[in-house]
Amino acid sequence: MSIRNAAFLIGLLVAATVSAYAADPLPPDATYRPLPTLPFSAVKANDEAQKPKVMQRHSSMLNERYDLSNRPSDVMMSGGRKPVQDGVRVKLPSGVTWDSLARMTPEEIKERRLLPEGFKPLPHVKQLTGGQVFPNRQIDEIAGQEQRNLRRFDVEFDLPDHLTPEFPPPIFLTTQPELGDVSRGQLLTIRNYYEILNGLVTPVQMEGLRMLLTPFPQEEFNQTEDRKVAEASLGVTCLDCHANFHTNGAFHLTPDVRPQAKRFRLDTVSLRGMFNQRIHGSKRSLRSVEDFTQFEQRTAYFNGDHVSAQRKGVNRPDRVDHVPMMAQMQNIVDFPPAPKLDAFKRLDPTKATASELAGEKVFMGKGRCAECHIPQESFLDHQMHDLKLERFYRVGQTVNDFVFMPDGPIKTLTLRGIKDSPPYLHDGRLPTLADTVEFFNLVLGLKLTQKEKEQLLAYLLTL
Amino acid sequence: MQALVLAAALVTLTTLPAAAQIGNSAGAAPATPQQAPGQPAPHYPNTQDRLFIQLAGSGGTAEENGARLAEKKAHDAAVKDFARRLAQDHAKSNQQLASLAKAANVPLPENVGPDHAAQTAELEKLNGAAFDVAYLRQQLLEHQKTVVLLQWEMSQGQDAALQRQAMESLPVVLEHLQIAQAIFARLTGAGPQGLAASSPSPATKAETDRSRLRSAR
Repeated sequence: MSIRNAAFLIGLLVAATVSAYAADPLPPDATYRPLPTLPFSAVKANDEAQKPKVMQRHSSMLNERYDLSNRPSDVMMSGGRKPVQDGVRVKLPSGVTWDSLARMTPEEIKERRLLPEGFKPLPHVKQLTGGQVFPNRQIDEIAGQEQRNLRRFDVEFDLPDHLTPEFPPPIFLTTQPELGDVSRGQLLTIRNYYEILNGLVTPVQMEGLRMLLTPFPQEEFNQTEDRKVAEASLGVTCLDCHANFHTNGAFHLTPDVRPQAKRFRLDTVSLRGMFNQRIHGSKRSLRSVEDFTQFEQRTAYFNGDHVSAQRKGVNRPDRVDHVPMMAQMQNIVDFPPAPKLDAFKRLDPTKATASELAGEKVFMGKGRCAECHIPQESFLDHQMHDLKLERFYRVGQTVNDFVFMPDGPIKTLTLRGIKDSPPYLHDGRLPTLADTVEFFNLVLGLKLTQKEKEQLLAYLLTL
Repeated sequence: MQALVLAAALVTLTTLPAAAQIGNSAGAAPATPQQAPGQPAPHYPNTQDRLFIQLAGSGGTAEENGARLAEKKAHDAAVKDFARRLAQDHAKSNQQLASLAKAANVPLPENVGPDHAAQTAELEKLNGAAFDVAYLRQQLLEHQKTVVLLQWEMSQGQDAALQRQAMESLPVVLEHLQIAQAIFARLTGAGPQGLAASSPSPATKAETDRSRLRSAR
């Protein structure tokens, strides 16, 4: 062994042993939620005064990134209540086209800052406060049915209604395939669920649904002074975001990340087809819907802070009865019908158009979509994957108080019924399916032709 | 490097509105004067701003001192270069922090604290390749902690100028971290970690190429 190598190894040893001295940790509120320092009335007054500027800043950012106009296609969502929006909405930087971008390397795109802003992580409307934000139609319906207030005084929902799922979403049950949509065109709440579902579900499913519709304290909606709702609140229910077991577009921040400034936004995921999903939570890989149901009251509700949860009155559903019953109900919610797919989740050539069949070919081949979105596994692979989008943009920049860091591995999300749940990606940064085709074309380096992109889109609309 | 810093600053400046962070009002210091409803007047620190000045002050000074020591004692040329860059960047940011602390009427810490003193003591005992590895190991840890600390100030502080300073420093600190990751990977023979692995910049790519050449021999 050379003297240089010996010295090197000794240095490693010394470094390893000497660095065992105790050091100060970072401040505790880098992880734990600090208690408020101001009275509630002062916080509310300040928040309300800040609100116009908050919404203005956010809305400018959205308009810089996207074309938010209302351009319905002639495809309707599964309940027939809202059209699917048409066209690519992510705006290109000047001087490039989708094709010219696709020809560049990730390094070149990063160097020349050419990644479209709309492809970068999407900020929460008020990052440093964060928390659950509900769309107006949900707020109005719950106010009307339950006289429970879901409106925050510091922020509002940011996306235009036409870019969100239909409301209320239809409900398809695996135990009632002959009936179709059993929602009766209503939003399920604690007031009407029994009348609507009695005779269609079992007692354990009914009890599970009752729990899913019962409000429990949450970080912004609770009875302490640390809240963002005007009056002390009973809280929120699971289906306040997962309306009718689907999604109404409500968003919050990932509970699984610190520090606050880099916590990414999470668009509510649909609960349809939970029966075939083996991992739950975009970053947490919970292995059963029971685990998720049991723990969500400390994560989504309280940002992964069990200390704050304890103070505000967290509900801890009991694992022996409540949790399994809630899971029993969630596990009978079906995907919407896809009449063109056969039992193997492949297009039936007697029912599909030429364009859709060509799109399936792209999906299975050049598009590489099926490598993660496996048709026979409900277009899932039960894995988390890291797309490493940080190859394309400089990390560490801040937009509207949100720091763009690498997202890291995220769970593959299902494509069954995908036309029903805009916006897309875990944070909702892609307004339409056409945007997702452009996104993956760039990120995976596929070099799809315009025709292939259109065919792929046609196929996605059949799922 | 200067061009990078300038460019980064320019990009953030164009995306910034006139006021910087819009935080959670629940964390504001009581009786802070407001320049507009819900917006604290400039240079009024809350508790977190004060702590940030203490921590960034002692850390920044320790960084500058450590970098000057490494400029002299480093064995590998890339480590010397890295130390020179750190000395420059931290001298500048220490000045900026000092003027913001003065404006906010918060005193800077008097010494670098026991943690940093222990780090310096460790480095003074070492030489050659062993020094390089120990110095980089310390720098990796310090920059990891600083990345979190800057984001913490952005989230919890109320002094807009301090928060803007934190926001603008963040990409630079990430660049430092990435370079340290790349050089550390080469010197120890381990694969690159963090940003050096997932999205190497031109500077760090040079290190990765050097590593690949070395292991191919």
